[in-house]
Amino acid sequence: MTELHINGELRTVDVPPDMPLLWVLRDVLRMTGTKFGCGIAQCGACTVHVDGKAIRSCLLPVGSIGDKAITTIESVGVTPAGTRVQKAWLELEVIQCGYCQPGQIMSAAALLNAIPHPDDADIDAAMAGNICRCGTYVRIRDAIKRAAAEA
Amino acid sequence: MTPARWTALTVVAVIVVAVGIAAWLLLPSPAMSFAGGKPVPLASYAGASPTGVPAELRAADPITRGRYLAKAADCEACHTVEGGAPYAGGRPFKTPFGTMYSPNITPDRATGLGTWSDADFLRAVHKGIAKDGERLYPSFPYEAYTLMSDDDVLAIKAYLFSLPPTHAVAPPDALAFPFNHRPLMAVWSLIYNPDHRFQPRADRSPEWNRGAYLAEALAHCGDCHTARNLAQALDNRRKFGGAVTAGWRAYNITADRSSGVGSWTDDEIAEYLHAGHAAGHGSAGGPMAEAVDLSLSNLTPGDTRALVAYLRSVPAIHTPDLPAPKAEAASEMPKQMAAGAANPRGRQVFEGACASCHGWSGVSPLTDLATLTGNRAVNDPTAINVAQIVISGARRETPNGAVVMPAFGRTYSDDEIAAVANYVTARFGSTPSSITAKQVAKFRQAQ
Repeated sequence: MTELHINGELRTVDVPPDMPLLWVLRDVLRMTGTKFGCGIAQCGACTVHVDGKAIRSCLLPVGSIGDKAITTIESVGVTPAGTRVQKAWLELEVIQCGYCQPGQIMSAAALLNAIPHPDDADIDAAMAGNICRCGTYVRIRDAIKRAAAEA
Repeated sequence: MTPARWTALTVVAVIVVAVGIAAWLLLPSPAMSFAGGKPVPLASYAGASPTGVPAELRAADPITRGRYLAKAADCEACHTVEGGAPYAGGRPFKTPFGTMYSPNITPDRATGLGTWSDADFLRAVHKGIAKDGERLYPSFPYEAYTLMSDDDVLAIKAYLFSLPPTHAVAPPDALAFPFNHRPLMAVWSLIYNPDHRFQPRADRSPEWNRGAYLAEALAHCGDCHTARNLAQALDNRRKFGGAVTAGWRAYNITADRSSGVGSWTDDEIAEYLHAGHAAGHGSAGGPMAEAVDLSLSNLTPGDTRALVAYLRSVPAIHTPDLPAPKAEAASEMPKQMAAGAANPRGRQVFEGACASCHGWSGVSPLTDLATLTGNRAVNDPTAINVAQIVISGARRETPNGAVVMPAFGRTYSDDEIAAVANYVTARFGSTPSSITAKQVAKFRQAQ
């Protein structure tokens, strides 16, 4: 049995330690807000926070997490940065098809936690690993700046 | 003296010097001559025999014993083409003389070894002569395997003959004249194949002798890690000092503290050999990762320790262009780079394709295998292995399943790969590289 601290709750799962966190979230805990995209950490759709940092959950073995705090898209809205990011996202209507957006929001919130007022280079560095097929990148950058401005 | 005499004397002197230089360049250098001491025949060595399988497997059936030795000799790596049946051959070997292909060594009667007798197999492994009398090229390291005892060679044969026969014919070799003439290899063998079985050193411990047998007769570490002379024979005066083989750099594994593995602990070397990874030293990639997965990871802990003991005894050689690896992680902050390391294109590739797994600090948030900090490859100013792993990716088998790095060779141009390799060495290594797109194009061809 593996104990995980997810969104402030202690969850116990009976899974092999090499199972990636994404499978645990989606298939075992039925938390399907976090998306599967490529499975090789190249698209960012599966991004969650582990101790506040953006991590690709598709390649993170669940046995290596220990008692670190996992935050997913389901509850990032209760964190200060997450609240501002989601608000900016809605105001600027960032989302088109939406599939990549849980990952985009998680990466953006982690960025604001690390760098409260990022410039374009900071945004590129933090967000380049999150791919959007609809090409919402320009709105994503604007929304991050708006969220930062409201801090 | 008359001018004619002077001329004659000069000619003689020039010839003597030339012959001397040629002899120095071409002289065979036995694999274990560094060790000194007195080689004794196996039968008269007082300690436990260095040959055969380790004690744990002595009572096992012949096929299990043969399998252990075949794994230790890593027959599979060369005799398997990507995506093909194990041991069915066909893997290409690009050399300066052209490309050759490994043969099928499954027991298929038509295309493999099915009709080979014990004597045929022994002759091939010890002398480099095939069943039909044809000379084998020394890309098959028979000058190492010749040290193997008859019993061990035949145990490997028994294992190979237990495999399913696969019908597979390797493509014909494409070698330039005169190297396409196999009989020439008789001359090479005469000079460079010692053609004798392993001789322990009486003054060394049984563990050291076992390690020597594993390294020299079976694992043939030198075939990648030792530079070659003009005749493509290993130059053991530079034993384990590192060399570039098949487009990858096999690093210095001598006791040199900065450019070799002299600063590693025994446990770290053992862990690296066993798992292809050691904390603080990063992970193996390319041919070494393959050697770990197919061969070295199968060794018993005792055999791994013996290998380490032997490796430790090889004299230090300093490789001037390899700095001591940088032990500290890079900054978590993407913008923080050493002065003068601006490389927007490299950074752009890194932030899109690499940072998710390797982290901005080089310490992977996902798996130790992906940590770059301390890795020799990122501390190599030629950046050859960084470029190669970006091109071809990596796949490592671990007890917890496979860990994969995608191959980016088709996604990124030579220019982009050069840029990201230079970014990676600058960010995570102690000396930045400055490789060009042209060099990357050459690296691609060398694989």
